[in-house]
Amino acid sequence: MGNIFPTWTNWIAVKVLICLGALGTAVVALAWYSWTPKYTRVGYMPQQPIPFDHSLHAGQLGMDCRYCHSFVENSSHSNLPTAELCWNCHGPGKVKSDSPKLELLRQAMDVNDENYTGEPIKWVQIHETPDYAYFNHSAHVNRGVSCVECHGRVDQMPVVYHAKSLSMGFCLDCHRAPEKHLRPLDQITNLAWEADDVDREKFYEELSAVKGVSAQKLKEADSNKDWTQELLGKHLKEGWAVNPPQQCASCHR
Amino acid sequence: MRWFFLIFTILVVAAVFGLRLRGDKFSQPPIEIFNDMDRQYKLKTQKPSEFFADGMGSRRPIEGTVPMGFHLPASKTEGIKSTPLDFSVGDSYMDTGLVGDNYGKGFPEGINVDEAFLARGEERYQIFCTACHGDSGNGKGIVSKYWGVPPTKPSREQSNSDEGYQQKLAAYLAEVESYSGIPPTANLVDPRVAAFPEGQIYHTIKNGKGLMGAYGAMIPVQDRWAITAYVRALQSATKTN
Repeated sequence: MGNIFPTWTNWIAVKVLICLGALGTAVVALAWYSWTPKYTRVGYMPQQPIPFDHSLHAGQLGMDCRYCHSFVENSSHSNLPTAELCWNCHGPGKVKSDSPKLELLRQAMDVNDENYTGEPIKWVQIHETPDYAYFNHSAHVNRGVSCVECHGRVDQMPVVYHAKSLSMGFCLDCHRAPEKHLRPLDQITNLAWEADDVDREKFYEELSAVKGVSAQKLKEADSNKDWTQELLGKHLKEGWAVNPPQQCASCHR
Repeated sequence: MRWFFLIFTILVVAAVFGLRLRGDKFSQPPIEIFNDMDRQYKLKTQKPSEFFADGMGSRRPIEGTVPMGFHLPASKTEGIKSTPLDFSVGDSYMDTGLVGDNYGKGFPEGINVDEAFLARGEERYQIFCTACHGDSGNGKGIVSKYWGVPPTKPSREQSNSDEGYQQKLAAYLAEVESYSGIPPTANLVDPRVAAFPEGQIYHTIKNGKGLMGAYGAMIPVQDRWAITAYVRALQSATKTN
């Protein structure tokens, strides 16, 4: 009985296994790295029909986010401004009204313009949760979650891009430990805010009104604790009875 | 096997160098595989819709209907309770700021000007008004740097000496020369505006005036009155006499 299989077949099974292993590792590594919103969404920076500069308007000029996104406190949807609102400042005879960048705005608003169409400006949506996840802006901004937590430092972005992953894990990180992110309500649109900026006297006074404990007592209880975001957030969380839901049905309904 | 690892290595190197890294900026829409659940075929806020012939998802109110947050124009508004998100309350003084054809004086019934109301007014003022009218209402908000505030003529009484006055006057005339001529933002703490009845300030917020656009679509009725109250507070705070 001669050898049916040549000798090189002795190792073929092992070799195939090694190759498959290497291939499998590479695929897993690729999937781990790129099959996540941290890869697919973060950094998305589409070109907008009008190159609106947030770093100029919200940063340098210091305009409040709510000047344009006016119903974010009342609505689940944070609205884009109407062309009419842009027109309030950029209309005829006002700021940069002749700028070529505003051509589409003039087409939408200026009935005397020869190119007038009345067409709405088709802004490109950057932050877009899946349609089965129901996010409510008003529920968050009215309970101390700032714009910056999900959108990053928009006041420093000449062109807005997707800064945070907005994955489900991202939501849950905050829902499980909200004290790391809460801040006083008058600082919601102050994207540069830090816990150290708080006027502590005023903070304890307001807190005592919410908690029904004297400001002095609250302060004494904290006397040997460091002033950190966690401490401040913990106070706000208890004061407002913030209890972020973690059931599936709170966002997927 | 040698060949396999050669190709494998080339592919890995190509992938490492060829693919975008996490956090890199890109402008193509994010890849979504099987996204029929992520992007459902339904009407979404401020999104276009193929369902309607004009492609607009946000529909205009049908003629004869009243959108949420609005009330039917009625000659009498008794019984209408205004909520913080109402954009109209009939055609009462509360809604128009007018009594007959004239601006009304004082705050309408149902508006209680207290500390909380003023604080609300301050917050709304700082959101919607400061850009042009400035934090203190003097009309020198950040926009004035782009619009140009007209120079103010120096008065002889304020100068110590005649020489100083002449210098200021010369500077004033030079400023006038370079002034772009675009009308200024109203100085809200000016006696002229301080003499406006409340109804007129409210009416201006709602409908705009001159170069100022209408803010009625952005600011609900109660907030317009809150801003009016805060403007009054600014005026009384800067009163000189």
